[in-house]
Amino acid sequence: MLDTYREVITPEGVPLHLPAAGPLPRALAWAIDFAIRFGALSVMSVPLAFLGDFGQGLYLGLLFLMFWAYTIVQEALWGQTIGKRAMGLRVVAQDGAPVGWMAAITRNLLRTVDMLPFGYALGLLSCLFDAHGRRLGDMVARTVVIHIGAPADGGTLAIDSVLPPPQPLQPAEQAALIAFAERAPRLPGPRQQELAGLLTPLSGGHGQVGVLRLYAMANWLLGRR
Amino acid sequence: MKQEQFVARYQPEWQALERWLAIRGRDPRRARRTPDPDGLDDADMPQRYRRLCQQLALARRRGYSPQLVARLQSLMQQGHGVLYRTPAPRWRRAVEFLFADFPQLVRSQARAMWVATAVFVIPLVGTFAALQWHPELIHLLMGNDEIARMERMYDPSSPHLGRDSGTDWMMFGYYIMNNISIGLRTFASGLLAGVGTLLVLLFNGLTIGAVAGHLQQVGHGDPFWRFVVGHGAFELTAIVIAGGAGLQLGMKLLAPGRRRRIDALVEGGVIGARLCLGVAAMLLVAAFIEAFWSSIADVPAWGKYSVAAVLWTLVLLWLWRGGRGGARAD
Repeated sequence: MLDTYREVITPEGVPLHLPAAGPLPRALAWAIDFAIRFGALSVMSVPLAFLGDFGQGLYLGLLFLMFWAYTIVQEALWGQTIGKRAMGLRVVAQDGAPVGWMAAITRNLLRTVDMLPFGYALGLLSCLFDAHGRRLGDMVARTVVIHIGAPADGGTLAIDSVLPPPQPLQPAEQAALIAFAERAPRLPGPRQQELAGLLTPLSGGHGQVGVLRLYAMANWLLGRR
Repeated sequence: MKQEQFVARYQPEWQALERWLAIRGRDPRRARRTPDPDGLDDADMPQRYRRLCQQLALARRRGYSPQLVARLQSLMQQGHGVLYRTPAPRWRRAVEFLFADFPQLVRSQARAMWVATAVFVIPLVGTFAALQWHPELIHLLMGNDEIARMERMYDPSSPHLGRDSGTDWMMFGYYIMNNISIGLRTFASGLLAGVGTLLVLLFNGLTIGAVAGHLQQVGHGDPFWRFVVGHGAFELTAIVIAGGAGLQLGMKLLAPGRRRRIDALVEGGVIGARLCLGVAAMLLVAAFIEAFWSSIADVPAWGKYSVAAVLWTLVLLWLWRGGRGGARAD
């Protein structure tokens, strides 16, 4: 399958779509988190430096929390760290349920392995080879990182006229027609007509007429009647 | 039923759900405190969600337009996200885990634990003994700077045991950061077929044996033993348990049994994560003892040793007997 969608059937008997996230948005999220952690530690180190050795002890404790607890706690509570939130990512269990504490701990402890031998190389390899872009920690913890974020709202259509299709269409055919109407305005005119030519039996028109009729049918399918 | 009729019949339900989800999504806490008078009641939500799932399944089956299906799908995904949540951690459960489940879990992995103990203790004792006969061997294991630092840390005339500088608080932070990280890495490196864990255990055994053997040999043995004997009860056992956790994970990769390798690894990962929780708790206690008790030079040797004896007995008893008798279904 070309898509990285993962379909899970929920107990209610309907499929849940989990669009798996690839290495790049995850790396960016990690970079944001790293910047936040680094920034927080630098800011805290100034007042703590005034507290002498006690402050230094606190600083090291904070370093520990930032390194290990930062990701575990945020992922267990909300399923996303600040960086993941910014990138519109979320960690969920493989079956689409929220991650539990155990899974959050496992996947973050095993980060140590994914970082080997340098710069998350092992994690990247595993990400590229796995169908759902999971790193080793994800596989052991049975989690997957997915995109959340509103699905794209249907694009603006080229024309206002409406035309019901001459015969009922299957859902896949409807989807293809709508996708054509959304994307075709960005194609050069001859290419639009060439594509629309494939559907002459449906539209009953050649050239530009066929293109416009298909747009109008897409409008009808989208409920603009 | 035609799509138009279907939409007309259920539109109000979907709109109510959309409204409820929007209010919930904005600020869940306030939404719970001030119920929306003409919106959905929270208690009705599960039922509404199931109805929606049924409508979505119908819409798919009947081949309604992709737009309608997409709308219902997105509603259903949002509802799923709100309805299924991580259960909140409970304190009682945490205490139970520490006192009963964790020792049980350690005993259930007895084979890995014994192997880890052997890989850790044999090099330790071996180096210690070898250094008593051939003191010059220390130069194979440690650089001159390190040796000098060790000797300074355990100088019998120093007011603090076991460190060059730094107060108790600073060292507490240092021990937490350093030791717990080492413990967790010992486990995680087990994913490399157990090789990483074996190496960590071996090196730790060698180093600790080398330090102990050398200090004993040059006559700094008394402050050294007084320093380490107390927190060692928690620290050494914790390292061994982390090692055992790593080894069982490695074994799951090497010998998955009659399962897929990934399934075996998942099981090992869950066991390992639970063991790591206990290890982290043990190392926290160890860091506390190490920073605030072990470093006091004024306590006479018999005081240190009797406290240490109590601690070792407690730890071993805890690991040996903890969680027995209470046959609780997990």
